Amino acid sequence: MAHNYTLEILAGIAMVAFCALFLYTSATMSGAEFAGSDNVGSGLIAELSGTPLENFQPLIPQWEPPSGEIESCLFALQSAIGGILIGGVFGFWYGQARRKAAE
Amino acid sequence: MHIMEGFLPWQWCLVWWIIALPCIMLGMYQLKKVLAIDRDALPLLGVTGGFIFILSSLKLPSVTGSCSHPTGTGLSTISFGPWITAVVCAIVLLFQSLFLAHGGLSVLGANIVSMGIVGPVAGYGVYRLLRDTSVNIYMTVFLVSALADMFTYVTTSLELALAYPAETGGFVSSFILFMGIFAVTQVPLAIVEGIVLALVFKYILALKPEILIRLNIFSKEKIEAARSEI
Repeated sequence: MAHNYTLEILAGIAMVAFCALFLYTSATMSGAEFAGSDNVGSGLIAELSGTPLENFQPLIPQWEPPSGEIESCLFALQSAIGGILIGGVFGFWYGQARRKAAE
Repeated sequence: MHIMEGFLPWQWCLVWWIIALPCIMLGMYQLKKVLAIDRDALPLLGVTGGFIFILSSLKLPSVTGSCSHPTGTGLSTISFGPWITAVVCAIVLLFQSLFLAHGGLSVLGANIVSMGIVGPVAGYGVYRLLRDTSVNIYMTVFLVSALADMFTYVTTSLELALAYPAETGGFVSSFILFMGIFAVTQVPLAIVEGIVLALVFKYILALKPEILIRLNIFSKEKIEAARSEI
C-alpha cells in the first residue's frame, strides 16, 4: 500500500523553517532577549499606566516557584501529563484497531 | 497570553470571571452528557486535552525577539466544541496560576476568556463554516487551530487595552501596542501549530475513524474519502 506523507513533510518543513527563523532573529536582532511576551506585556502596562512595575502587587496572594529550575520542572511535569495521555490513548486505539483487524 | 496576577484592576477581573463562569458551567454539563452517551469519547478527550497541556507549556521564540506559547485548543474545539474546551483550558490555567505564577487566581477569568472561550469560539465558527463544504479536512483543522491560537492573543490584547487605554489615542492606540507584542509574536507559532495539529488529526483519522463519525465531527463520506488517501 502506498502511503501519502505530504502532511509529515509539510510539518517537517514548517519546524525546520521555524528553527531557521529563530536562528536568523537571534543572530541579526540586537537586544533580542527572548523574554516571555507576558512580561513584555506587563512592561507595557507599567508604561501606559505610569505606575512602576514593582507597584503591581498580586490581588490574591500567590506562590511563586523559588527558582528557574523549579519552574522548568513544573512546566516539564505539565507537558509530561499531556504526553502520557496522548501516548496512552494512541496505543490503546492502535491495540483496538489491531484486534479488530485480527477478528 | 497570560495576564499576570495583579496586572488587571479588580473591576475587570470581575467582568471576565462573570463571562467565563457560565461558559465553564455549560462546558461541564456538556461534558457529562457526551461521556454518558459515549464512553469512547473519553480517550478522544484525553488526546485533544493532552495537546492543550503540552502545547501550552512550550514557550517558543519568535520573530519579535520574545517568547510565547501556542494554545493547542484546535483539536478539542473541533471534537467537542468551545465550551468543553473552556473546561480543559480552565484546568491547565489553574495549574499554571497555582504552581507556575503564570497568570493568577484573580486574572484567571480573563485568561480563560482569551484561551478557552474567544479563541475556541472563533475556531469553532470556522469549523462550522467549512465542515460541510468540499474544503479538505486537514485544511479545516489547520485553519481552526491557527485561528483559535491567534484569536486568543488578540483577545488578551483587547482585555489589556480595555483596562489600560493610552492617554493619547485611548483604547485603539493601546490595542495596537498590545497587538504588536502579543499577536505579531504569535503568527509563526500559530502557523506551525496549525500544521502539527492537522498532522495529529490524520493519525486520529487513521486509528479511530469510528469515534469521529459517531460524534459527527465530519460526515462519513468525507472521513472515508480522507482515509482512502492515507
